[in-house]
Formats: sequence, C-alpha cells, structure tokens
Amino acid sequence: MTSTALSEDRVDRQAKHQRSQALARREALAGYLFATPALLGLLVFTALPIVASLILIFLHYDLLTPPKWAGAENITRLATDSRMFKIYWNSLRLTIGATLLNNVLGLLLAVGLNRAMPWGLRYVLRTSIFFPVMTTTASLAVVWRFLLTQDRGVVNFLIGQIGLDPVPWLSSSTWALVSAMIYDVWKSCGYLMVIYLAGLQGIPAVYYEAARIDGAGFWQQFRNVTLPLISPTAFFAIVISLIGAFQIFDNVWVLTEGGPGDASRVIAMYIYEKAFRGFEMGYASAVSFTLFIILITLTLLQFLGARRWVHYE
Amino acid sequence: MSVWLQLGEALLWILLIGIAVIEIAPISWMFSTSLRDPKNSFDLPPDFWPTALHWQNYVAVINSPDIEFMLFFWNSLKIALIVTGAQLLTCSMAGYAFGRLRFFGRDILFGLFLASLMVPATVTLIPSFIIIRSLDLMNTHWALILPSVTSAFGVFLLRQHFKSLPEELLDAAKIDGAGYFRIYWQILLPLTGPALSALGIFTFLASWNNFVGPLLFLRDWDKFTFPIAIATIRGYMGSGNQSEVLAGIMISIFPLLVFFLLAQRWIVQGAAITGMKG
Repeated sequence: MTSTALSEDRVDRQAKHQRSQALARREALAGYLFATPALLGLLVFTALPIVASLILIFLHYDLLTPPKWAGAENITRLATDSRMFKIYWNSLRLTIGATLLNNVLGLLLAVGLNRAMPWGLRYVLRTSIFFPVMTTTASLAVVWRFLLTQDRGVVNFLIGQIGLDPVPWLSSSTWALVSAMIYDVWKSCGYLMVIYLAGLQGIPAVYYEAARIDGAGFWQQFRNVTLPLISPTAFFAIVISLIGAFQIFDNVWVLTEGGPGDASRVIAMYIYEKAFRGFEMGYASAVSFTLFIILITLTLLQFLGARRWVHYE
Repeated sequence: MSVWLQLGEALLWILLIGIAVIEIAPISWMFSTSLRDPKNSFDLPPDFWPTALHWQNYVAVINSPDIEFMLFFWNSLKIALIVTGAQLLTCSMAGYAFGRLRFFGRDILFGLFLASLMVPATVTLIPSFIIIRSLDLMNTHWALILPSVTSAFGVFLLRQHFKSLPEELLDAAKIDGAGYFRIYWQILLPLTGPALSALGIFTFLASWNNFVGPLLFLRDWDKFTFPIAIATIRGYMGSGNQSEVLAGIMISIFPLLVFFLLAQRWIVQGAAITGMKG
C-alpha cells in the first residue's frame, strides 16, 4: 500500500514537473518573441554601429573606394591634430559655461516657482519658461540668428536703448561662442528648472518647519536644508547637462556655422565635417571615439555617484 | 534678518519674472514679426506684440510655388507618428518580456540594453550612415524611421513599470486561462498609461525636432521634414524676407504649442521622470 502510494505520488510529481517544464518552455518562448523586435533594433542600430566604429578607426575609408587598412595611423594622427584640440577647447568652454548657467538658473527658478503663489501665475511662469525646451533647436536657432544680427538685430537695438554699443554677436570670434551659450541657456534652463522642481518637491516640509522654528531665515534655509537635500538631483542634473552640452550640434550649426573661422566650432560639428564633407570616415571615427571616452567617463561617474549619493525612499 | 529675507524674496521674484519674459520674448517677437508686411520686416523698434496682421505671409509660405510647405508638415507628422507608435509597441513588448517573463539569457540581454544607454548618438553617427547607405535607404524616410523603431531607454522605463505591478494581478489572469499576449495587451498595457504617455510624448518630440538625421539622410525637398527645411529656407530667403521665414517657423512649432498648452502637466511631469534629453 505504502509503496503504491509513494509511486503514485512520484508519478504525480513527475507529471507536475513535466507540466511546469512545458509551461517554462512556453514562457521562455513568449519572452524571446516579445523581446525580439526591440532586440533587432538594438542589434542593427546600436550594437552593430559600435562594433563598426571600432573597426573603422583602423581603416581609411572615403565611401567611394573600398576601405584600406590604416593600422594605427588614425590614432597617431589625433595627437598631432592641433585643430581638433582647439575645437575641443571650444566645446569644453561652451559645455562648462552652459552647464554652470543652466544649473544655477534652473535651481534658482525652481526655488522661486516652488513658493506659494496664485495658481494662474504659476501656470503662466512655468509655461513661459518651459515652452522653449519643447521647440525645435535648429528652427529657433534661425530665430536667434535674426535676433542677434549686428546691424538691425533686436538684441543690439535693445542694448542700444540702455546706452550700450552694438555687439558683433555672431561675427566676432570672442562673441560667437558666447552667443551659442546664451542660446543653449535660453533653450535648456527651463528643462533644468523642471528637474530641480521635482527634486525640491521631494523634500519633506517638516525640515523647513524645523528650520523655521530654529529661527533660520530664507538664506539659511536654502543653505542648510535645500542645498544638501537637493544634491542628488543636482548631481544628476549636472551630469546630464554636461553630456548634452558636449554633443551640441544643431545650435552652432545654424547659429554661427562654427565661425568666424573655427571660433565657435564644436566637436560634434568637427566629426560631422570630417566624415561627411571630407569623407574621412576612419579618422572621423577616431575623433568620435575620443568623445565617446569623455562621455562614458561622465556616465560612469554618474552611476558611481548615484550609488553614493542618491537614496531611494 | 527680515530685511535680508525680503531682499532675497524680491530678487527671486525679479529673476523669475525676468527670465520668464526673456524666455517668451523671442517667441512673441517671432509671432509679431511673422505678421508684419515683408517690406517692414526688419524695421526697428521690434514688436513683441502684433501691430500688423499681415496673414498673407502665412498664405505665401503655404502656397509658395517653389517649396511645398505643407508637405514638410505631412513628412514630419508621418515620421513622428510611425516612430512613436513603433517605439511604444517594441518597448512595451520588450519591457513585458524583461520585467515579467523568465527565459534563459534574460538578464544578459537586458544588460545589453542598459549598456547601450551609455552610448551617445554622436558616436554612432558614422556607422549608422554607412549601414543606411548599404541598406540602400538614403533619401528615404525609412532612414529616419528604422533607427528609431526602438529605444533602450523606453525598454528600461517600461520594464521598471511592469515590474512594479502586483503579481496577484497576473496570477488571477493566468487562472482565468489568459495567454501571454492577452496578459500583455488586456491587463498590463491598460495599467501603463502614465509611463506610455511620457515615453510617447518625448519620442514624438524628439522625432519632430530631429535635425541631424534629416541633414544626414535626406537630399530632396519633397522628402524634407520641418527642421531641415527651415534651416535650408533661411539660406535661400532669410536675408530677403524675414517675415515669411518666421511665419514658416511659427507653422512648424504651432502643433507643439497647442499640444503643450493642452497637456502641460503631463509633459512637465514626464520631463522630470524621464530625464528626456538624456
């Protein structure tokens, strides 16, 4: 009796096991099927390009004639490309200036907007400041090109009204990069504001109440409550600003076309021009690889930093 | 102390209102100038509020014999809608697979998606061009659609969302005999509204505003989308007729404006959640 009961139990368990195996197989099949479209896209348009760009670095390729092996020539050429270093210097200045201004303004605007005010006023302010973020970078750069024209431009007219001399915004090598930065800040600071606003709204009100009871003023509250508690948000915001600003392209392409000379040319433009104007695919890939190293360092910094600073509730 | 407090408050108000004015002034200038008679378009002082109502500029742009402006509208809209639809579908499907199903290699494959988040678009520009060229897709809209049919970020966003839904929900469906597709389509997707709409909004915007893609892949006017068309038109007639160029830009951002005024809350929330510019 006991033995048959046992074997029945075994048969039962075996059947169950087989059933659950069949289920697991069906689930796996469903998993592969559901993931396939996205996986195909990832393979063809992300993974393949990455591998291809690593190979391209070692080739001379002009699209028309078959690629030729270049060995390390493209890489050694980087070290002697003084034009690239000059352009990187532009990118670096633009990136740091834009990141700094965007984040300081974004935080201050968020603090301003996060206070008690009538609903309608908040709506108008938020709409006005955020709307440029949604607009097309290239098209609004056309608008700013008109605004910043030296002779009949609106900006020079307005600063003339307060007695300042007209500024050659787009045509002088000192101002062209500044103009690109102004445009980027105009375009992006509303986005940073929204990120900081979300961060501020995550700070529990009790901290402010406690600070007020202790007699802390506006500045002390900002310094001792807001700043430390917003730091994870700020870290995230600064890193994504840096990554975004290093890749600025549309902005400068339309606004100054990189000029005068190379005064406002940025690295993404240089890569584009080397590849699609000079048809030096191999060398352009080598330059873009240097950008990749910079950006991946920033991204890893973000991941590591996030682990240290960001806390999940 | 309270003097400092008041000073800080006052400065914040000045900053807030001042920046709001600076942010909106170029747009209201563009609108006002787009309504000026073309022969006055460069006149100073500038208008920040329409003083003329020369709607003919808009008619001229739309009916221009050389360029089919409404075709750009249709091209932009078509590409943005296809890309958005495709991404919502592929990302939610993969999100379901990675968040809810068990299969061999799942975590490694998902790791690939996460890793590809770190690869900036600028870096894959050249090989993408070569791939599109060898697929013989140059100067077609497929060149803009195919590379965007999925996004690692979208997969990540939706996988996190699906993972957060309660298990009991799925168990109940399984007991009722629902298959994997029905669970995905009828149970999970309807609960994914906010995440799907955030992804949809920003995918649409990114496609509508895309400039590098069309610059790289499109050659003929009749294929152009708005951003590339406007940048090119400026070169032809920017110095001659500012008002008409601005009218063209107004038309191209008008859908964004309407969309934004209607769905502002979700857009602003979505921007904060998704870190849209990435």
